[in-house]
Amino acid sequence: MSLIRWNPARETERWNMQREINRLFDSFFRGGIQDEDFGLGVWTPAVDIVEHENEYVVRVELPGISKEDVKIILESNVLTIRGERKQEKDVKEENYQRMERSYGSFQRSFTLPTTVKNDNIDASYKDGILTITLPKLEEAKPKQIEVKVK
Amino acid sequence: MRKNNEGALTRRGTSALVRHREPREEYLTPVADIFETSDAFVVRLDMPGAKKESLVVSAEPMLITVKGPVEKYHTDPARTLVSETVTKAYYRVFNLTRGLDHTRIQAEFEDGVLTMTIPKNDEMKLKEIPIQ
Repeated sequence: MSLIRWNPARETERWNMQREINRLFDSFFRGGIQDEDFGLGVWTPAVDIVEHENEYVVRVELPGISKEDVKIILESNVLTIRGERKQEKDVKEENYQRMERSYGSFQRSFTLPTTVKNDNIDASYKDGILTITLPKLEEAKPKQIEVKVK
Repeated sequence: MRKNNEGALTRRGTSALVRHREPREEYLTPVADIFETSDAFVVRLDMPGAKKESLVVSAEPMLITVKGPVEKYHTDPARTLVSETVTKAYYRVFNLTRGLDHTRIQAEFEDGVLTMTIPKNDEMKLKEIPIQ
């Protein structure tokens, strides 16, 4: 009998691959948003972006991260979330039995379809989820125009 | 043969905590780190979006079960632009071997990470043997 070393990357790879394919399909068919650089960094936290009438809401799965280690940058309508998840300092590597969680730096950038208000962005972190709310500029909101029929 | 390899892991060759395979598709298996200290095993699970109030950790002599329902977050958006997260309840089972005390497990949930500390029984703790 031969022992096969358990490879933690195998499971996550498959998962990331699936995610990547889904994302490609989504962006292709929906148009609009695109991930600027396919996620730089060591790991890629999962992101949701939805559009409401007056705002965009971005959710990033970042369990166990310190607020100080995350940076949110908005340049025109490109939103970048960057940061690092640090590894346990007090645990020696040889004491690990299993290591499936990802550590290290990450970066994700997204182009938002319309311009957002630069000064009114709200970010909160709860239960390992970073939520960013970006209000739309007045001119980007949908308008109803009344047309008089003569 | 394959079965034997399923749980074989780490440079130590044996593990006190080996994952029990969970094939059910309606659940999401949270990723875990397991490490050993001098008097306990620590299991750390990423469960972003789970709530402390609805998390259930139950321990039996040979088994720990972790369950964490996740609520759907986005209520009726006008448009979904990116959708990568999975809204499924977390579920994972860990097997305990002899030498771990299932009655004194401590669990903490902070920032989407569940940490379980499973103390070793005295028989499992490293003993220094004095040389005569």
